[in-house]
Amino acid sequence: MLSYNLKLAMHSFKRAPSLYFLVLLTLSVGVGLLCANLALVSSMAGDPIPEKSGQLFHVSMNTWPNDQPQSEPFHILRYREAMKISESDIPKHSAVFYASGVYARDSESESLKRFDSSVRATTPGFFPLTKAPFAYGNGFAKSSGMEVVIGAALNQKIFAGANSVGKTLELDGELLTITGVLKPWSLRPLFYHATEGRAFNLTDDIYVPLETAIDLGWSIHARTSTTVSYKGVQFTRDRDVFYLQAWVELEDKTKQEAFQNYLDNYSQTLKDAGEHPLDILNELRDVNTWLSELKIVDQKVLAFTLASVLFLCVCVFNASSLLLSRFHSAKFEVGLRRAIGASNKNILIQGFTESVLLGLVAGVVSLLLSWLFLKLSITFLPDLANIAVLDPKLLLLGMLLALVTSVSSALYPLYRANRFTISAELK
Amino acid sequence: MNIKALFKSLLLRKFTTGLLILQLAITLGLLVNSSILAFDAKGKISQITGLDNDNILFMSTQPTSGSYRDLDYYRSIVTQDIEKLNQLFGVNSVSITNQLPIATQGMSTNIHDLDNPDQDRTDKYLQNVQYILTQENLADAMGLTLAEGRFLNKADQFDFGSEQKRNIVVTESLKRALYGDESAIGQETNIGFIVGVIKGITLDPTLPSDKQYGVFVNTVMEYIFTGRFYVLNVEPQQMANVRSLVSETILAVQAERDIFRVFTMQEHLHRFYRDDTGLADLFLLLCGLMLFITAISSYAYSQFHISRQQKFIGIRRALGARKKDILFYVLTENWLVYSFGCLLGLVVTIGFNILLSQYISLSKPDIALFLLAIGVIFMSGTVATWFPAVRTSNIPPVIATRTV
Repeated sequence: MLSYNLKLAMHSFKRAPSLYFLVLLTLSVGVGLLCANLALVSSMAGDPIPEKSGQLFHVSMNTWPNDQPQSEPFHILRYREAMKISESDIPKHSAVFYASGVYARDSESESLKRFDSSVRATTPGFFPLTKAPFAYGNGFAKSSGMEVVIGAALNQKIFAGANSVGKTLELDGELLTITGVLKPWSLRPLFYHATEGRAFNLTDDIYVPLETAIDLGWSIHARTSTTVSYKGVQFTRDRDVFYLQAWVELEDKTKQEAFQNYLDNYSQTLKDAGEHPLDILNELRDVNTWLSELKIVDQKVLAFTLASVLFLCVCVFNASSLLLSRFHSAKFEVGLRRAIGASNKNILIQGFTESVLLGLVAGVVSLLLSWLFLKLSITFLPDLANIAVLDPKLLLLGMLLALVTSVSSALYPLYRANRFTISAELK
Repeated sequence: MNIKALFKSLLLRKFTTGLLILQLAITLGLLVNSSILAFDAKGKISQITGLDNDNILFMSTQPTSGSYRDLDYYRSIVTQDIEKLNQLFGVNSVSITNQLPIATQGMSTNIHDLDNPDQDRTDKYLQNVQYILTQENLADAMGLTLAEGRFLNKADQFDFGSEQKRNIVVTESLKRALYGDESAIGQETNIGFIVGVIKGITLDPTLPSDKQYGVFVNTVMEYIFTGRFYVLNVEPQQMANVRSLVSETILAVQAERDIFRVFTMQEHLHRFYRDDTGLADLFLLLCGLMLFITAISSYAYSQFHISRQQKFIGIRRALGARKKDILFYVLTENWLVYSFGCLLGLVVTIGFNILLSQYISLSKPDIALFLLAIGVIFMSGTVATWFPAVRTSNIPPVIATRTV
């Protein structure tokens, strides 16, 4: 029966190729455009580390030294608070870091070409906390020492992707040894540093022990706030310079409460010493709460998604009126089939087969188109380049959308076709 | 023309007519709002920045070598760079700065008059004043005009490490916020003594025009590692030539540098607004697609109509209607549908505008734009119906006699 219906559908397509082409085109343009937008939205609103996003917490504190903070509480911390967090054994892992940048080259290379590399100056807990995937070697064990871990992209540029553990990099004139190389690692959004419009940056090129970076004076490439003047990051340890971000991994509610108390007690000691003029307000927010609070989903893309939903509606309307005219002109044929014994149900099933087939083809075309639209979106909005990815989930969604729209646009025409009276049509 | 008959004929096809009207309304809503976005973006780019837009060339650069950690070495290279760049034919002036105008991020400070420390509590913008590290040539290089006092001079660059209070130049809106209409020259703030006021200049276009607060200090040589941008004032006819030479000029002084971009003030403005223009372009693209789809619909609608009404039109022809009457009849019928579509479109336009403004900022729809969009819809619709309408008018009267 199915093959018979398919045959009939093919027959019908052949009889009005231009009309079906138009239906196909409208539906796939509509679905393709929406799918491309949904791809952007889902990358932006996605959970970057689903296996433990509920256990990773960003730490914000309220330790501004006077009563005039620029925001409350601060997502960036002073060195002394950051160290207090690192010291605690309540979290399974903790990471305290700042973003920097250096120029890197292989110290043994003859070429003087150096590569602009983004740097994460961090405590060693960063690697287990973020589940950074190692291709070779492992992370550094201490917060000091002339060691680095490098990302896959930089390893590719400098060492052509080979195992570079044990090699020495020249970073801004200093020699540091590679202890580990990461696999290609994408985090969308980049949850560990989603502030300052960096949520869709790539993961870093170089990971260096925090104290080493501070000692070497590698400048801070992210938001810094201070009430005092200082001549470089090496002088920040005992000053009111706010620049470090902190993340902790707390496995259950009791640990969360314990750590919250730990922070509050610390703030209380500051208050008792007269160093905490503001009310005590220490906040722990898990990955998804933190990301949604930062409102990282691009409002422009949301607006355009809204428009593309409307557009898809128009496409369905259009396909529907096209199909209506098609079924209308096929009235005679339907009447004839009814007259020689086909039931209403047969006609309905045949119509459905036709629209499902159409939907499948439209799905394939729309996936191609959505890839094209994504490329186009990047040319118009270049900042989106790192998140314009069509993952399998979306490919499936695209196919489904195409099927649903195709069937729904055929609903009314089918209903109409089923009400033709045989005698009138055969006259 | 019998309007009543037309209505009746439309009611015969409630479903398709309804769909087309909805479609037209949505298209109109999208068309008007996309044009608003496009015009908004264009308006932003052509705004007056108070800067010498046509003559300014920027170069952003960063040393790649560790030798630059010796700041005296760094300074000597920068000094030579400036000297060499100044020697290029067509270059009027060269300066260096930590950050550019027309930007949202950068170094900032709080500021208040020393006798009035509560100022930055009442005006929160005073807590986030752009802090521009530069040297004495920036006013010439950027074509800044002074409202009062003088720009920074060489003597304002103190000995490195000096704790002495600095001389500063402030923007006009900052001066107003601190001192109202009084003169600011000689006044003492927490940052230093004011020696000059720069006339209306836009630093951060996302802020209101009376909150363009900025402070200029002559400290870029002291904190030379912050000096990311060279600013060149160039004779307009020499721009292309100078632009092609700047990179090699400084690389000839010292090669271990990364030059990110060489760009004009105009390009800088465009880049700042590229998301806005990009979004407007995307919406316009969507409009094009929508118009295309709607045209297909109009076509299908009329085509469907003919197939159903062939007999009636034949009868009409037999009863004496001329070809052009039929043509006019089909077109009028479509125009009537468009009119309904546009009427509903007015509601959709306003609704869509409100909906979009939840996500992005855009102006309110205006009537001229709306009329223009209606014009476009009528035109494209008429073009799409023309072919079926002509076909309909060609239906021979004899059709009437063919079927019972």
